[in-house]
Amino acid sequence: MDFALSEEQEMFRSMFRDFSTKEIAPYVEELDHAEKPPLDALRKAARQGFLGATVPEEYGGAGLDPLSYALLIETLAGDCMSTAITLATHVSLVAMPILAHGTDAQKEDWLPRLCSGEAIGAFALTEPDAGSDTSRLHTRAIVEGDEVLLEGVKTWVANGEIAGLFLVFARGEAGHEAFLVPRDAPGLTVGYREPTLGLRCVTFNTLYLEGCRIPLSNRLGGPGDGGRIAQEAQDLMAIALAAAGLGVAESALQVAAKYATERVQFGVPIAQKQAIQNYVAGAMIETEALRYLVYHAAWLVEQGKDISFDASIVKAFGARVARSVTNRMLQVMGGYGYMEDYPLARKYRDARALHIIGGPTEWHDFRIARHIFAGLDLAIAP
Amino acid sequence: MDFTFSPEHRALRRMIREFVENEIAPLAAELDRTHRVPFETMRKLGEVGLLGVCFPQEYGGMGAGEIGYCILMEELNRVCTSTGTNVGAHIGIGAMAIYLDGNEEQKRKYLTPLARGEKIAAFGLTESGAGSDAAAIRTRAVREGDSWILDGGKVFITNGGYADIVTVMAVTDPALGARGGVTAFIVETQWPGFKVAREEDKMGIRGTSTAEIVFEELRVPHENVLGKVGEGFITFMKALDMGRLTLGAACIGGAEMALESAVRWAKTRKQFGVALAHKQAVQWMIANMATEIEALRSLVYRVAWMVDTGQPFTQLAAMCKLYGSEVASRAIDMALQIHGGLGFTRDFPIERGFRDARIGEIYEGTSEVQRIVIASNIFREHGVRIRP
Amino acid sequence: MRAIVVLGRVLDPAGIVVNRRAGRIFVNREEYILPPADRCALEAAMRIKDATGCEVIALPRALFPDDDVLRQALAIGADRAIYLSGRGPDCADDAFMASVLAAAIRQLGGADLVLTGATTLDTGWTQLGPRLAEILDWPQILDAWQVEVQDSMTVVQAVVPADGGYALAEADLPALVTIAAGALKLRYPNGVRLINVYRGIGAVAEALERWEWQTLLEERPTPVLERRGQEFPPERERGVRVSGSAAEMARAVAGALRQRLGR
Repeated sequence: MDFALSEEQEMFRSMFRDFSTKEIAPYVEELDHAEKPPLDALRKAARQGFLGATVPEEYGGAGLDPLSYALLIETLAGDCMSTAITLATHVSLVAMPILAHGTDAQKEDWLPRLCSGEAIGAFALTEPDAGSDTSRLHTRAIVEGDEVLLEGVKTWVANGEIAGLFLVFARGEAGHEAFLVPRDAPGLTVGYREPTLGLRCVTFNTLYLEGCRIPLSNRLGGPGDGGRIAQEAQDLMAIALAAAGLGVAESALQVAAKYATERVQFGVPIAQKQAIQNYVAGAMIETEALRYLVYHAAWLVEQGKDISFDASIVKAFGARVARSVTNRMLQVMGGYGYMEDYPLARKYRDARALHIIGGPTEWHDFRIARHIFAGLDLAIAP
Repeated sequence: MDFTFSPEHRALRRMIREFVENEIAPLAAELDRTHRVPFETMRKLGEVGLLGVCFPQEYGGMGAGEIGYCILMEELNRVCTSTGTNVGAHIGIGAMAIYLDGNEEQKRKYLTPLARGEKIAAFGLTESGAGSDAAAIRTRAVREGDSWILDGGKVFITNGGYADIVTVMAVTDPALGARGGVTAFIVETQWPGFKVAREEDKMGIRGTSTAEIVFEELRVPHENVLGKVGEGFITFMKALDMGRLTLGAACIGGAEMALESAVRWAKTRKQFGVALAHKQAVQWMIANMATEIEALRSLVYRVAWMVDTGQPFTQLAAMCKLYGSEVASRAIDMALQIHGGLGFTRDFPIERGFRDARIGEIYEGTSEVQRIVIASNIFREHGVRIRP
Repeated sequence: MRAIVVLGRVLDPAGIVVNRRAGRIFVNREEYILPPADRCALEAAMRIKDATGCEVIALPRALFPDDDVLRQALAIGADRAIYLSGRGPDCADDAFMASVLAAAIRQLGGADLVLTGATTLDTGWTQLGPRLAEILDWPQILDAWQVEVQDSMTVVQAVVPADGGYALAEADLPALVTIAAGALKLRYPNGVRLINVYRGIGAVAEALERWEWQTLLEERPTPVLERRGQEFPPERERGVRVSGSAAEMARAVAGALRQRLGR
């Protein structure tokens, strides 16, 4: 066993930090207030190759290993969780499935454009009546000759507003299927953007597919592969989300701990108070536990192991840690924590998203339990 | 023992429920969105007598006691935490300080228009360097003939941006500190030297004014000293005790709203072929919410009864606020989780409730300060005096 | 001038659950409210009081076990309220109550105007107003949306629905007017009056009187209804969705009705 980052990973991390401090941190507050997608940051991230973080260099990506990618998301989320989630959606939920399941033509067509930021990727799985229960989608895919007709409505499409490419899941003859739908496809309309509690720079939109016709060659994978593609992508995303949770928890701890050394009450800095010490110690323990869970999951990906079980563990734990750490750190900052002029309020609102996006924690708890009971020869239903 | 509400309190709740449903609930989302203080609601509340709910009728109040006031806070916060906060700062601490320690003349002159809602009150305690640590107060008051000259400022003052009357705590004898050296004053905001410096941008309770106020050579006549010179700390702590109890009541309302919507949604929303109500994870959340709300309700109204019957309640008031804010935060968090994505959008009141609820653990003394109050009371009974 | 307002009470619908399968109404919260139409009648009376300074007296629409509705009326602003106590017949219907109320009004020394809700929320009874007007031999205006008393205090004017629009009805006083639910924007009780009337202190509490209804009449009036039991109304059937042009939809609706009626 070796828990140290490689020299290369250390180098990447300091590069990510420089980038984030310079290109993201100064604009976060303004962007969050205006609820604007971080387009400028994405453009600059593209120049660094971050938009193709784990995509091989032959397609214009940066060819990062999974752990370095986790470090990237963690670092970005420390300054702006919205930017981290926007980028992770693009990489883990769109670029990676194309890399894994795309034909050569599809890869050559889309990956360079995704890596360069010419097209941002969006993931369209959730439907009004299908939240965690995506076992039966209502969006239909009807094959007509060498074309496919898509009909349906998708909700909570992350990156919807800024995307050039949508990975759309629909029910076909043989089961669920995945399709690469360019934004200019006829019959595709990006609709209502959800005004959200946190992650206010991520655009979550409704997507209407009305008589949306695309070539059959835009199908990702074979007939009936959609379910598996969606699950793999979500498992990868689960790790990225947990990494984002790690980033937001770490940074909240840093901000609040510094505040505790400066804020004087009853004649001493509040850092001298046991209640505050208890808060920061608890936060540190949880954050460190999460760190190694995230890095371990990234290592599993690197090793090419099945991550379906670990992805749920890391996501469920990440959501809990992010929530509880930001909550307690807000408490350390007292009234200032509640003010939008200080970063804790935003971090707290953002962190709450992790219990919901990428499958609510209850769903991941179920998947973990299902794995445990499967080992004891009992199948459980959701 | 009798745990039922009296007929007048039942009738009062019915009246308040009708009022808040018609006059306040329809505004709640807009107030939050546009960051607007609902002056018109304050005026209407005053017209029907609710802003004087707990004050005696001789001072323009309704005379419904602390139980009546708790009912008001519970019902207000069921539909709009912002309005509840405005009312709480006005009655619960602002006007309350004058009611508790004001002399007859001060009550006639100030409490009566406050109880009728003709004027709005705020409570000026917190400073940038002094939150719950009252001994660290920097605002100075210097005697000059029949007057006192105030210099300094206060931050995070609810209603501060538009109040007519602010009860202010200032240092009158730096040598004596919190015990003996600070004095409470009744300040009219129209007096020269009073200035509103800025409005805060908050995560929640956005329909309230949280302002920084500044005093520059503000001349206060000696007759506006509230209570005795040097005993301002005691006056303010008494007002805060009352405030804490009613914040507990406010939390019942917020938590109830969360439970009601969670139950409604769990009945309707289907996943995996059944309503969420049939999922044990959801059932546990609902059961926990309901249990905690009932425990909180019993605690709050028992303490309100103690206030109305003249029993000591400081430690219990801190418990009301501590437990109430945590129950409300947990309840709204679970309700948000049950609502899933819908709970995360600002199109649904749950999202607003989530942001609003979080202030409960912070204002009028953080949860940590409440624990200090509770622990120091307990240890004092055992002969140990603890320093915060 | 004197206006009488007759008020009932119903279980708060928000506190009950109707369970057809169990054949029962479950009362989760036994809380009574003024029925919406009666509440509007009280509001109409208060507006006339605001305009003319008349006296407003509240009477109960039935022999209630407590005087809660009357206290509510006093809190809202009625000048007097008379609680009618004593045991009534098993089914104290509108006919019975109209006689009792007529006697009470006589006992009060008469009145110029009686206002009450056009219909109750629970039983759906609508006859109290018309029957009371018959006994008093007064003109009546039913289902009004607005009521005004002329300056001369001799005529009442009311806006009533007619042919899809509204008509202005007029009657010489004394008269009886029933008010529709939802007709008026309601005022809230006055806080001080509310607390005092329920606590039983001050003038507002003294304005609540208690009369034995039997002492008002020589002869016990007979109800016209007899209670034989109770059951739910038949369950509403699923509707039929019609589509097409207006003419086609009209034909479809007419056809469905004919079929239902067997013609």
